[in-house]
Amino acid sequence: MSESVINVSALTRRFGATTALVSVSLSLPRGAVYGLVGENGAGKTTLIKHILGLLRAQSGSVRVFGLDPVTDPVGVLSRTGYLSEEHDLPGWMRVDELIRYSRAFYSAWDDAYAEELREAFALQPSATIKNLSKGEKARVGLLVALAYRPELLVLDEPSTGLDPVVRRDILDAIIRTIADEGRTVLFSSHLLDEVERVADHVTMISHGNIVLSAPLADIRESHRVGERVPSLDEIFVVHVGESAAPAPDA
Amino acid sequence: MHSPAAAIAWEFRQRHRWGLAAVAGCLMVVAAVKLLFLASGQPIPLESPTQFAMVGVVPLGATSFYLLALFSFGFSGDLAARQSIYPARMFTLPVTSWALAGWPMLYGASAMTILWAAMRLFAPWPPGVAIPVVWPALLGAVALAWTQALTWLPYGLPGLRVVVAILWLTVMDTVVLLALHFEAREPVMLAILAPQVPLAYFVARFAVARARRGDVPDWRGLFVGLGRLADPGRRRERFDSPARAQLWFESRRHGRSLPVLVGLVLPFELALLLAAGDAPVLVFEILLGVLLTPLFMAAFAAATVRKANAGGGDDYGVTPHMATRPLTSAALIAAKLKMAFWSTLTAWVLVLVAIPVALYLTATGPVVIDRVRRIVEAVGTPRAVVFALLVSSALLSSTWKQLVQSLYVGLSGREWAVKASVFLALLFLAVVGPLALWFVEHGAMWTGLWDALPWILATLAGLKLAGAAWVAMRLYEERLVTDRTLVAGTACWLVVVLALHGLLAWLVDTPFIPSYLLLLVAILAIPLLRVSAAPLALAWNRHR
Repeated sequence: MSESVINVSALTRRFGATTALVSVSLSLPRGAVYGLVGENGAGKTTLIKHILGLLRAQSGSVRVFGLDPVTDPVGVLSRTGYLSEEHDLPGWMRVDELIRYSRAFYSAWDDAYAEELREAFALQPSATIKNLSKGEKARVGLLVALAYRPELLVLDEPSTGLDPVVRRDILDAIIRTIADEGRTVLFSSHLLDEVERVADHVTMISHGNIVLSAPLADIRESHRVGERVPSLDEIFVVHVGESAAPAPDA
Repeated sequence: MHSPAAAIAWEFRQRHRWGLAAVAGCLMVVAAVKLLFLASGQPIPLESPTQFAMVGVVPLGATSFYLLALFSFGFSGDLAARQSIYPARMFTLPVTSWALAGWPMLYGASAMTILWAAMRLFAPWPPGVAIPVVWPALLGAVALAWTQALTWLPYGLPGLRVVVAILWLTVMDTVVLLALHFEAREPVMLAILAPQVPLAYFVARFAVARARRGDVPDWRGLFVGLGRLADPGRRRERFDSPARAQLWFESRRHGRSLPVLVGLVLPFELALLLAAGDAPVLVFEILLGVLLTPLFMAAFAAATVRKANAGGGDDYGVTPHMATRPLTSAALIAAKLKMAFWSTLTAWVLVLVAIPVALYLTATGPVVIDRVRRIVEAVGTPRAVVFALLVSSALLSSTWKQLVQSLYVGLSGREWAVKASVFLALLFLAVVGPLALWFVEHGAMWTGLWDALPWILATLAGLKLAGAAWVAMRLYEERLVTDRTLVAGTACWLVVVLALHGLLAWLVDTPFIPSYLLLLVAILAIPLLRVSAAPLALAWNRHR
C-alpha cells in the first residue's frame, strides 16, 4: 500500500431536506479492490458521483490522485474508468464506433486489450448499442472502462439486473484488472456475496454514514465467534441492522 | 385519483402548473384592462383590425403555441427523432391506445375552447366587429389534434416529423384562410373543421398504437451513401484528438438535423416559383421565404442541440457518460459550436445551390437578374457587393446564433430555467407586437424613442459587456478556460466588432446616424454573452 488514490474528508451532501452523506471521511490507498456496500439509497452512488466530480462537495473535500475532480475533471477522468449503474451509453452508436470514439480520449488505450475484451464479451462490432441487451450494454460499458487500463476503476452497482453469466464476466474482468499491479478498483454493490468474493477492503455505508471500513480479513477476524467466521451478510446485519429503513434514493 | 383519465389530467396539471397559472394570469390582466375601459365608459382605442391583431391575436397565438407544445408532450420529447414523442413510460399503463391518445386530445381541445371563450369574453374587441362564436375554438382544437397526431407518429427519417407537421398545418391554415377570404359563414367553417377532429383522432390513435408496439420505420438505409459522405469520422481509423472525437459525436448526434430539415422544405418552397411566373413581387417574396428558412428551421434544430441529455427523454441533467468524458466543459461546448458552424454551412450551401437551379428551371432568373442589376446601378458595384456579403454573413451568422444562443439554458440542466425561458419567449412574442404598434401609433412616443435610441442601445451594450465580464471572471475562477483562451476569445470578438463597425460606417454614409451608434449596433450584433455563458451552464450541470 502506498499513497491514497481517493481522499474524502468530512463530506456532507444534502438534497433538499434529505441528507445523503453525513460527514463522510474515506481514504483509499493504491492497489486493492474496495467494496462499497450498503442498502439501496444508503449513499453509495452519491459518494461515487462526488469522486467522479459529478457532484460538487457542499462541505468537506474530495481529492482523487490529489486533484479536485470538479476543478480538474480532465486530470481525474483521464485516469479513471467508470461503469455507470445506468448503462447510459449513446444508443445510436455501433460498438466499433463507441470503441473508436472512446479511444480518442485516453492516450493509454490498448487496442489489443480492447479487442481481447470484445471477443471475450462476445460483442459484435457492427451491433447498435440501443439494440443490445442490458447485459451486453454492461459488457460494452466495462470494455470501454477497462481498455485503457485506468489507474482507478469505479464500478457503480456493476451487476444490478444482470444474469449470473454476465456477473461472472464482470467479476472476472475486475479480477484481471487487479491482477495488473498497482491499480485500484472501487465498486459499489448491495450483493454482499459478490463483494466477499472480490474485495480486499470493505466499506459499509448506511443512511449516509460510514459504519465500518476495514480490510475484509480484519473484519472477519474481528467478528469471529469461536471457530466460526461469520459471512459478510451477517456482519452487515450486525452493523446496519435489519431495521435499516431504505433511505430516499440517493 | 380514481381513473386513468384523472391520472393523465393530474400529470398535465402538476407538470405545467406554473405555465398554466401564467396563462390564467395573462387572461386576467386582459380582462382587467377591458373592465377598466368599460367602467370608465371609454371606447376601446383599437381602430383597425391590424391594431387588434397585434393586441389580441398575438397573445392568443402565443398561448395557443404553448398549449400545442404542452398537450402534444412537445416539452419533453425530441421533435427531430424518428421515435414518437409520446412518452414511452405511458405505454405500459393498463389502458387502451384509444385512451392514451384520446384523453390528452380531449384535454387539449377543452383548453383551446376555454382559451377562445376567455378571449372572446375578455379581450378588448374593437366596436363593430362580428365576433365568431364556435369556429375559432374548433380551429384551435383541430390544429392541436393534428399536431398531436403528427408528432406522436413514428417516422422513417430524423427531422421528418417537423417537416410533415409544418406542411400539413400550413395546408390546413391555407384552407381556412381561403374560406375567410371568400367570407365563409360560421356553418361553412364548422363544416370544414369539424370532420377533421375524428380524422385526427384516428391518426393519433394509430400513431400511439404503432409507437406502443415499438414499430418505428427506418428509411435511413436509403441515404447510407449520403451518410458516409457526410461522416468523415467513419472513414478515419482513429481520431487525432479528443476534440475531434467529440466533434464527430456532436455532428452525428445533431449536425444533420438542420441540413435535413432545410433540404426537405426547400423543394416545396422553390416549387412555388412555378406559380409566380413573371410577377417580381411574388418571386422576391418566395426567395425571401427561402432565405429565412434556415433561420426558422434552426429554431427547431436548436431545441435538440441544447438538450443536456442527448439521449432525449424527460431528464434535464447531463448523462453520466457525457459528464465523465475527460474533457473540460469548455471543450465540450467548443465541439457543439463547431458542429453548429458546419451544420449551418451545409444548410446554406444547400440553399445557395438550390436557388439558382430553381430560378433556371422555373425561368424566373431574368426577373431576379434584372432587379439586381438595377440595385447595382443605383448604389454602385462596391456597395452592392459589400451589402450582399454583409447580408449573407448576417444570415449565416444568425442561423448559427439561432442554433447556439440557447445552449446556456438547455445545458444548465435545470427544468425551471428551460421552462422559464420558454415562458419568457412566449411573453416576448405576446408583448413585442402591441408595444411596437403603440409606439408607431403614437407619433410623439416614436420621436421620443428615436431620440432615446442611443441611450437604449448604450444601456443594452453596457449590460451585455458587464454580463460578459462577469461570465469571463467566473470562467477564469472556475478554471473552465485558460487565460490564453480568454484573451484570444476577447481579442477575436473585438476584431469582429471593429470590422463590422468599419463596414457599417462605410456602408451607411450619412450624417444622421453617428458612428458611435453603429459601434453600439456592432457590439450588440456579435454574439458574446450567451455563447460564453454556455460552458458555465454545462459545468453547473455537470458538477451539481
